Amino acid sequence: MNFIRLIVWKEFTQIRSDPIVIRLIIVPVILQMFVLGYALTTEVKNTTLAILDRSNTPESVSLVQTILHNQLFRFAGYAESETDCRDRLDRGDARLALILPAQFARDLEAPHGAEVSLIIDGQDANSSTISSGYINSIISGWSVSYLEKKLEAGGLRLRNVLPLEVHPVIMYNPMLKSTWYMVPALAVVLVTMITALLTGFSIVKEKEGGTLEQLMVTPISPVHVVLGKIVPYVVIGLLELSAVLACATLWFRVPFKGNFFTLLLFGLIYMTSSIGIGILVSTVARNAQQVLFILWFILIFFLFLSGFFLALENMPQWVQKVTYINPLRYFMFVLREMFLKGSGFAELWPQGLAMLAIGGVVFGASLVTFQRKVS
Amino acid sequence: MNPRIRALVRKEVWHILRDWQTLVIVLAMPVFMMFLYGYALDVNISDVRVMVEDPSPSVETAEIIRAIDHSSLFKVAGVVHSAGNPDEIFRRYHVKALFRFSPEFSADLRRPGSPASVQVLIDGSDQNLGTVLRNVVEPFLQKSALEVLHVPVPAAVNVRQTILYNPQQKSAMYFVPGLMVTILMMISAMLTSLTITREKESGSLEQMLVSPVRPAEIMAGKIAPYIVLAAIDGALILLVGYFVFGVAISGSLLLLAAASLIYIFAALALGLLISTVANKQEHAMLIVLPVTVLPTVLLSGFIFPIASLPQLLQYVCMLIPATYFLEIIRGIILKGVGLGVLWRPMLVLGCMGLFLIVVSVRKFRVKL
Repeated sequence: MNFIRLIVWKEFTQIRSDPIVIRLIIVPVILQMFVLGYALTTEVKNTTLAILDRSNTPESVSLVQTILHNQLFRFAGYAESETDCRDRLDRGDARLALILPAQFARDLEAPHGAEVSLIIDGQDANSSTISSGYINSIISGWSVSYLEKKLEAGGLRLRNVLPLEVHPVIMYNPMLKSTWYMVPALAVVLVTMITALLTGFSIVKEKEGGTLEQLMVTPISPVHVVLGKIVPYVVIGLLELSAVLACATLWFRVPFKGNFFTLLLFGLIYMTSSIGIGILVSTVARNAQQVLFILWFILIFFLFLSGFFLALENMPQWVQKVTYINPLRYFMFVLREMFLKGSGFAELWPQGLAMLAIGGVVFGASLVTFQRKVS
Repeated sequence: MNPRIRALVRKEVWHILRDWQTLVIVLAMPVFMMFLYGYALDVNISDVRVMVEDPSPSVETAEIIRAIDHSSLFKVAGVVHSAGNPDEIFRRYHVKALFRFSPEFSADLRRPGSPASVQVLIDGSDQNLGTVLRNVVEPFLQKSALEVLHVPVPAAVNVRQTILYNPQQKSAMYFVPGLMVTILMMISAMLTSLTITREKESGSLEQMLVSPVRPAEIMAGKIAPYIVLAAIDGALILLVGYFVFGVAISGSLLLLAAASLIYIFAALALGLLISTVANKQEHAMLIVLPVTVLPTVLLSGFIFPIASLPQLLQYVCMLIPATYFLEIIRGIILKGVGLGVLWRPMLVLGCMGLFLIVVSVRKFRVKL
């Protein structure tokens, strides 16, 4: 125990003596928090839209006004012809082009309805799906209100024609802000990066500098060295988790409905995995550059399969099965549920158990390989 | 080539080859990431788990529940008689929506003049899914109710969609250009800044400086192998994209190569610049990640469309070389447009590259 304390003390002194590292721990995290907090929006806004209105009737103008009135689109000018529409998309001046045919107003009265064409720049499949979904829903909204007016003119009310009354209620994130969903998840990314990287660096640096061998010839056992080395990084990780929490609630105004200490406990469980990965990588890597590369590689892999910005539910079955071994997946879920829904141990124990199991395996394996490597 | 530069290049190549682990990662990473993107990236929302509360089961509610379950969008995880506290349902079963039929649902449905009521609670945590669900539930339910009643569905405006450039919305079309942008930046900026700081740390850079080699030659010798490495990676991405994922380049390959080269130069200069600021490898790394890699991934328009970002960040986007390179490369690969359309981003990228090179060479000289 004494030995561990000594190593902890040594490690803290080392971190303290390198003011740049401290600055580098703090500054990029804050920077990333803000840049990512604002950038990680899954909203698709300001989509540029060109319009070709061949009909030019009160009806067509009303539809165009309804669409442009919406903040989601930015008017990119009236096109003159279909080739002009295409040119505008080619040049990137517009991402969507809406074409209203000459017979638009006449067809509105026909039983089959009018048909408008929407040309979509499909380069970015994700945002084009979302923005065309938006425009479709606006058009169908306009379409319903048009029908309503028509029926009213005939002395009917739409509410009497449609069979249902649907009341959608948005829960947990009533204003549908993407920061509420992304900022809590960001904590996972930042905590993982910092704890795994710093642990990996601190070990590989001693390896490179030959001081690890010196430590090994002292009576301190390798396990004690590792345990002593990780304590400061666990502390840094927990501090960072708290900082992200403060930033999320105070700056981004994300409600935190859960319990702070439960969050820290889950963080602690999670860090056995992230720090374990850091140690494992440092035993394989020969220098700091390799640590960075391998960790970056692992992080990207795990991040993709964590539900961070791609919903896991949409992935193929076998990919979903792969995600079960991903510690990030559980911690991300825990944070989001805790923040927005106020879930606690009662609901999140399966995730806690999974993280404990993964962390146990990873951390145990890292201790064993470390011991084997140094002896 | 100058013999001194040649010697330096040979030395750097040895460094790279000796460190084969890094080399393997550098070459395997893009391929690996392509497969990851290729299989994990599916933007279509489908099979959203929902719960139904049906206090008075009837033929009509059963039919509507079946319609919900059979739609590609929803999957009914369970039907309960009474939901009790909906919070509990959301927390425990992790469903994304709860459909609550009113007790008089079937009676109201058959009676003209009194619409039957359905409340839909939507988990809005994920705003994207929340928005889609909010927009979709009403038309969806109305339509299925009309079908249950055997009434034709009225519609005033139909939308016919044409998707350009990537008609099948294959995700490969989207990630191949994106990966080019990220991987080239990673290799060029990260690797150069790291190797230079490593030589600084170990003191061998000073040793080289007291030799008759000029600083500019040291830089050229250090950079050249990484240009080749980045070019190999770029080619690898395009080849795998073509042969595995069927992404053909519809524009000019020559223009693509030229633009890539300019971009690689800009990224290398950025790496050099970082190495003049950082004295240790870890510092270089901690600077490289937030300064080059993250903005390239997040602010270039690769993952998040630039137009959706806050205005301030849009200005930041304009300062990032990747933004312009992505526009060029998407233009060439997907749209098949040429210099006539792409001259503007090409010009900006070229100026940025030139500026970065001049600044980094200046700073490099001063530092040494």
